Amino acid sequence: MGCNASTLAKIHNVDELILETGFSSSHICHLYNRFHSLDKDDKGLLNRGDFQNISELAVNPLGDRIINNFFPDRVDLIDFNSFARTLARFRPVENSPKKEPDSPEPINSRANKLKFAFQLYDQDKDGKISNNELLQVLRLMLGVQVTEEQLDNITDRTIQEADLDGDNAISFEEFKKSLEKVDVETVLSIRFL
Amino acid sequence: MENTLHHVVLLLSVFFWFIWCVQHQIIAKETEHAKRVSHLSEKHCSIEEMRHFGSSVASYFIFLRWMYGMNLVLFGFTFGLVVIPELLMGLPYGSIPRKTVPRAEQAKAMDFSTLWDFDGYCKYSVLFYGYYNNQRTIGLLKFRLPLAYLMVGIGTFGYSLMVVIRTMASNANESGGDGEDSDFNFSWKMFTSWDYLIGNSETADNKFASITTSFKESIVDEEENQKDENIHLRRFLRVLANVLILCCLGGSGYLIYFVVKRSQDFATRDDLGWYEKNEVEIVMSLLGLVCPPLFESIAELEEYHPRIALKWQLGRIFALFLGNLYTFLFALFDEVNQKLAVEESIKNATTWATHMHYANFTGNTSATPPPIDPADEFVKLTVSDIQVTYITILVGDFLRAVIVRFLNYCWCWDLESGFPSYAEFDISGNVLGLVFNQGVIWMGAFYAPGLVGINVLRLLTSMYYQSWAVMSSNVPHERIFKASRSSNFYMGLLLLILFLSLLPVVYTIMTLPPSFDCGPFSGKSKMFDIILETIELDFPAFVGNIFSYVANPGLIIPAVLLMVLAIYYLNAVSKAYENSNLELKKKMQMQRDEEKNRRNNQDSTNSIMKDLEDLLPIKSGGGKSTAPANKANTNKNDPPQTAKGAGKQGEVSRNGSRVNPEKEMLLAAQNPRIAVTRPPGPRPPGPLPGNPQLTVPGQRGRGQPQRVTSSNQDPLFLTPEGKVASRNWFCDHLCLRLFRAGLPPDNYSGHSFRIGAATSDAFRNIAPHIIKAMGRWNSGAYELYIRKNIFDLLSMQKKTLCD
Repeated sequence: MGCNASTLAKIHNVDELILETGFSSSHICHLYNRFHSLDKDDKGLLNRGDFQNISELAVNPLGDRIINNFFPDRVDLIDFNSFARTLARFRPVENSPKKEPDSPEPINSRANKLKFAFQLYDQDKDGKISNNELLQVLRLMLGVQVTEEQLDNITDRTIQEADLDGDNAISFEEFKKSLEKVDVETVLSIRFL
Repeated sequence: MENTLHHVVLLLSVFFWFIWCVQHQIIAKETEHAKRVSHLSEKHCSIEEMRHFGSSVASYFIFLRWMYGMNLVLFGFTFGLVVIPELLMGLPYGSIPRKTVPRAEQAKAMDFSTLWDFDGYCKYSVLFYGYYNNQRTIGLLKFRLPLAYLMVGIGTFGYSLMVVIRTMASNANESGGDGEDSDFNFSWKMFTSWDYLIGNSETADNKFASITTSFKESIVDEEENQKDENIHLRRFLRVLANVLILCCLGGSGYLIYFVVKRSQDFATRDDLGWYEKNEVEIVMSLLGLVCPPLFESIAELEEYHPRIALKWQLGRIFALFLGNLYTFLFALFDEVNQKLAVEESIKNATTWATHMHYANFTGNTSATPPPIDPADEFVKLTVSDIQVTYITILVGDFLRAVIVRFLNYCWCWDLESGFPSYAEFDISGNVLGLVFNQGVIWMGAFYAPGLVGINVLRLLTSMYYQSWAVMSSNVPHERIFKASRSSNFYMGLLLLILFLSLLPVVYTIMTLPPSFDCGPFSGKSKMFDIILETIELDFPAFVGNIFSYVANPGLIIPAVLLMVLAIYYLNAVSKAYENSNLELKKKMQMQRDEEKNRRNNQDSTNSIMKDLEDLLPIKSGGGKSTAPANKANTNKNDPPQTAKGAGKQGEVSRNGSRVNPEKEMLLAAQNPRIAVTRPPGPRPPGPLPGNPQLTVPGQRGRGQPQRVTSSNQDPLFLTPEGKVASRNWFCDHLCLRLFRAGLPPDNYSGHSFRIGAATSDAFRNIAPHIIKAMGRWNSGAYELYIRKNIFDLLSMQKKTLCD
């Protein structure tokens, strides 16, 4: 799995990608190799089935939702650039103090990481996690081991804790606030090398 | 034959060093990668499986692993600095009396039964204190063995103390951050429980089970907070339970004392069965087995919250173990003192005899008294404890599981859910057993250096044996509670027992004279003298002077005073920090409630609405009694505010109106701020027009409903703040209502009301002059206000055409 200029040359718009995602060229090479190993039929594109071959996603109760997050609306095949862009959110946050005040928020900022997680729960993309969506997630996670009544208790309690404006659903702001003590930068980061 | 034992010991020691190095590598690597990958090493993987049973079982195994690490280090010290030098550089076996098996015993010395009792060759080997020579320096390197022995003994305690306190401090650091009550308990469990690095389906199943367990724990926790009780009955029952338990403790202490005394009588006899020889250990182990379940059943009377009940249970078991151990010690000390008196007389006789027979020491076996018994007793106690634990697990858990599983097919009632069923893993008992065992090791390590090695072996095998037992024959608890959210509770117990085991050892070092021909300190009046001797002989003179100054009571007492004052001061400072922490938390909570309140009163996040409301006079909480009315009002005729689908939003707001009354009650309770400032309105607020739901005090439960008085001079239309409803205010609100209704506000104005009134009057065929009067028109302009109904025009047209 060599990483060299020829690999980089195969990627479309590689400089723009590097700038946007913040990856270094060796990161991009590694990701490209991984992309190709996932792409069994050598189409140069990935579909949902290729992702489901990964065992960690297959046993994950939210695996399908994670896969869906890679595919924007109504698109069933993604190319390497969008693959890299989605993965860029998991790049570890560097603690560099220099920050231009008017530069756009980097793609791996805490807010964007949380946004990714939020989208896993907000299936209908209305910007809020409702009672029903929470119930669905709980059923995926707990299966049949918990009674309906207990599930209802849990969802009610969760919404009661996190909901600040009383609309019986959790918006992205409330989601962020409830997780403000969780060390999201470490937990939602993957070291690629 | 004598040397094979030594060779074996040597080989074992090399093996242990090897294991230590490898383990150190693994542990170091683990901590390095712990943040990156969750299941790198095999041990970590099996602990992940433990989490299936609830976090507490996993924490037991983590604790076990931590103790293993600590013991390994202690073992390294002891072996490296004491045993190996003695083996390599000291006098070999058989050269001096203390190192030789007495002739009388030599016939049986190599028998397995003798070895198992730690007699025979084991007794006269590096495992025991008695083996070590009291030469001041040995070998080429002039290694000062007695000094090393003492320093290692003290260093063992010092190192253990340091490690335990450091772990406690780091645990306190972690958990002290957000304290015991987390505000987002369920949210965190919901959103952050899954471990995304799990790729194995079996591990995934375990993870599911552990998440379920954790949710159930939280639910039960919530339920327990809402129980009420009959106080007097509870108190009486609790006192009764405590009295019963004290009786049990007293009884067990007396039993041990009695048994130890009896064993001293036995020692003088020769025809001992296996039971009599091991009576003490058997009784102690049995007490440790029988009493905890007894305590638990007595504790049923008390009906505490499960977490508190667990703490009481642990405390009682701890008291049991401590009481037993100290009774045992006191009985032993009696014995030792007796022996010392005997020794004194023998000493005089033997000194004379050895002078005479120095060359033929092999003949003098009968004059050599046995080494101090405590060492032997400790080792035997540890070994029997190990045996009992393993056998209990085998029988109590594994056999029981096998029986339940296979007999279930041919038994009348359901064994699995009925009487025996599968055993639950008794965390508290196991942890206390571990802590108690460590206490015994600490006490005995000074007298039997090999004891630490035995403990290391025991912990290593325990880890694998117990984890196998748990996975194969135990079921998860029905009620799962940890004794405390941090593991500081168990660390605290460990610290306590460390101090308590330090005391006897320090006492013997400082006060008791060592046996005169056994061990590295023989010949001195106190063990402590070795240090003084070293300072005198090995260090330059001024060091000795410094020590004598430092040891002066005149210097020590002020130092102790200073330490006491420092402790008091630090305590006060930490209390102050705790208080300020609480204050900050309260402030944050209040702020959050205020925000909730504010948002509920406004009930819209629409930016246009915000702009409009900026036009309005300042609210400052004055809208309390009108807010519910407003809310009900808007919910009544309030279609969606955003451009999204109508149905869902309507549903949400309808739900909102259902949920919110309770919420408002809660909020009312928490938000004590009353309207302090009211806008300087000219008159007190009157009843709002068109809002019949103004006050429903029973349902809302908000503070005092405002008393409204009105007079003839009051204006008819008032804003919620009590000001006169101006034209601008009226028009702005009209726009707002229209906008919410989904109608374009631009097509309407204040005049629309006049247009509507005129048109509808004309439609009902009311006479024009009456329309003019009612609308206060002075000119014929009223005609412009009457909009022509298009259908009327059409029908009129048809009529004229037809005619």
